[in-house]
Amino acid sequence: MVSGRIRREIMAMIKVEGLYHSYTRDENYALKDVNFEVENGEIFGFLGPSGAGKSTTQGILTGLLQLQKGNVTVAGYDIRKIKRKMFNKIGMSFEQSNVYSKMTAIENLVFYSKLFDVKTRDPLELIKLVGLDGKENIKTGEFSKGMKHRLTFARSMINNPSMWFLDEPTTGLDPAIAAGIKDIIKEHNSRGVTIFLTTHNMFIADELCGRVGFIVDGEIRLIDSPKNLKLKYGKKLVEIEYAVDGNVKKETFSTIIKEDKDALNKIIAESVILTMHTKEATLEEIFIKVTGRGLV
Amino acid sequence: MKLLSSFKKELILASRSFYFYIELGSALVILAVLLLAVPENFSTTTTQYLYLGFPQAEKEMYVDTVLESESGVESEMVEIEAGGKTYDAQLITTDGEEIYIVDSEEAVEKLAYEKQAPGAVVKLDNSNQLSFKYYLQGYESTRLKNLISIMFNKDIGTLEEQIKNQEIRSLTADYEPINDRENTIPPIISFSSGLMGMFILASYIFLDKKEGVIKAYAVTASSVWQYLMSKIFVVSLTSVISGLIITMPVMGFRINYGLVLLLLLTTGFFSSSLGLLISSFYNDLMKAFGVIYLLVILFMVPAIAYFIPGWDPFWIKLIPTYPLMQGFKEIILPKGDIIYPLIASAGFLAAGVILFAVTNIRFKKTLSV
Repeated sequence: MVSGRIRREIMAMIKVEGLYHSYTRDENYALKDVNFEVENGEIFGFLGPSGAGKSTTQGILTGLLQLQKGNVTVAGYDIRKIKRKMFNKIGMSFEQSNVYSKMTAIENLVFYSKLFDVKTRDPLELIKLVGLDGKENIKTGEFSKGMKHRLTFARSMINNPSMWFLDEPTTGLDPAIAAGIKDIIKEHNSRGVTIFLTTHNMFIADELCGRVGFIVDGEIRLIDSPKNLKLKYGKKLVEIEYAVDGNVKKETFSTIIKEDKDALNKIIAESVILTMHTKEATLEEIFIKVTGRGLV
Repeated sequence: MKLLSSFKKELILASRSFYFYIELGSALVILAVLLLAVPENFSTTTTQYLYLGFPQAEKEMYVDTVLESESGVESEMVEIEAGGKTYDAQLITTDGEEIYIVDSEEAVEKLAYEKQAPGAVVKLDNSNQLSFKYYLQGYESTRLKNLISIMFNKDIGTLEEQIKNQEIRSLTADYEPINDRENTIPPIISFSSGLMGMFILASYIFLDKKEGVIKAYAVTASSVWQYLMSKIFVVSLTSVISGLIITMPVMGFRINYGLVLLLLLTTGFFSSSLGLLISSFYNDLMKAFGVIYLLVILFMVPAIAYFIPGWDPFWIKLIPTYPLMQGFKEIILPKGDIIYPLIASAGFLAAGVILFAVTNIRFKKTLSV
């Protein structure tokens, strides 16, 4: 039993227990009793609308915010007694690009490469990896938003992290570049890198994540794999188009939730049905069904 | 290694930032003003306008008496313009005075008004007695007014004798004064090198906060103190350069530059740490501006005591710029007390270390998501 618990803790790259956080240091919590684990080598998607508590959680996990209440370990380090060497194992790609605008792309990466105690990657190689080759000697102040975002993403790989935090890694990128970023994430994960992906983009989460956690109003509502969620909720939705009072309406109902079934039966009984078919639920629809909230 | 990398990065950023050039440019402007506009010794020559309502012979006798009273007194005929009119005058230049003798009482009145200088009319009244009329400006001290009153109520000969019999002894035999230009260096260095460091460092931090790079630094294996110290290094270096730009051309090699560097570095460390502490409470320069402004005003108060030695209350000595200015003054005085700048440097170093430690703790706590 004991050996099983120890093995489980080693396996967990991130372990969060009873996490609370209040910016006003009172009962007005931004995070309430958050509990989850991220296994070594998995891609864990942390999903929720703006203001749900995603960034707060990520801030605590990366030591940017002080841990107030609860227990958090990341890569085997207790966040309450944070040690700088922990960051040799951690990479962090921020949602808001944060590079020195008066320095060139290569100067930015070279500088950050000197701040770790481990072997770092070749800055030029990383610049090429994110499609910025030829731009390495341009000051980042002259970069577009997307280019800065890619450089921020590239910087997060500089220390070969085994725990990689990604905050909206494809936001603002065109589809081709976003696809390239997703390939990089998959390739790193295939080499055993654990990834904590914070996003409100359900498509990227669906594509990349082994498991996802839904957070709303500072509380985790559900944690499961996209596959399980689809098995549970998939093909149990009915999309119906019907006419009522001369207007055409389109709605989607679950065939397992009682309230949805009642509403669907009522429409069938009282309205003129134009089209009706079952469909596989998207992660976004599942999120809305589970949390009762949209993602914006 | 990490500290060195951060320092190199800060040097790159500073060299591409206008704050760096503002400080060095300001130092050059101050130097130009010191060398080209500030005289080595400020003139204490007073100007007076005088009308003598005597017959020509008495007038010439008075002028001759003045010309012969001491050596170096010169006389020449000049024209003075005032209020759109031109007046003929005889200018008598002595060691500390320029006396313009004009041809009419009306000219004295007009010139005293236009040139904002004292004037006097001396003439014979109806009873053939000397009559004096003074045109003062209103800002003359009570002492001067009393002196004028005494002159007309006491015997001039007695007054002269009293003045001659006064013994003046210097209590500090080793004291060698510096000229006025050199005397302006300590307050200038204090403000341009010392206080600018506080402002510039806070600006650097706010720029980093705006770009979010502090957060990126916080998730590296490098400590916060190294990030802060690298900024202090660069700001202190800039302070030293700007301080030397001002000091070296004026003072030459007559002063102890080891002490100058020590005081510049320790005050740079102190003021930079203060700038860091201020920036830990705010997110942008505009919000911090009120506090910075109040501190700058407070730090300027000791300049009053510096230029008015008679006003030197105890509390003013507690303001950091007081020992800073006095320390620089002791360094540039030919026989200055070198212990004073050493003690001042130790004080600034100790205060800087305390401020830096507090700031480091605050920065660890105030990094936000």
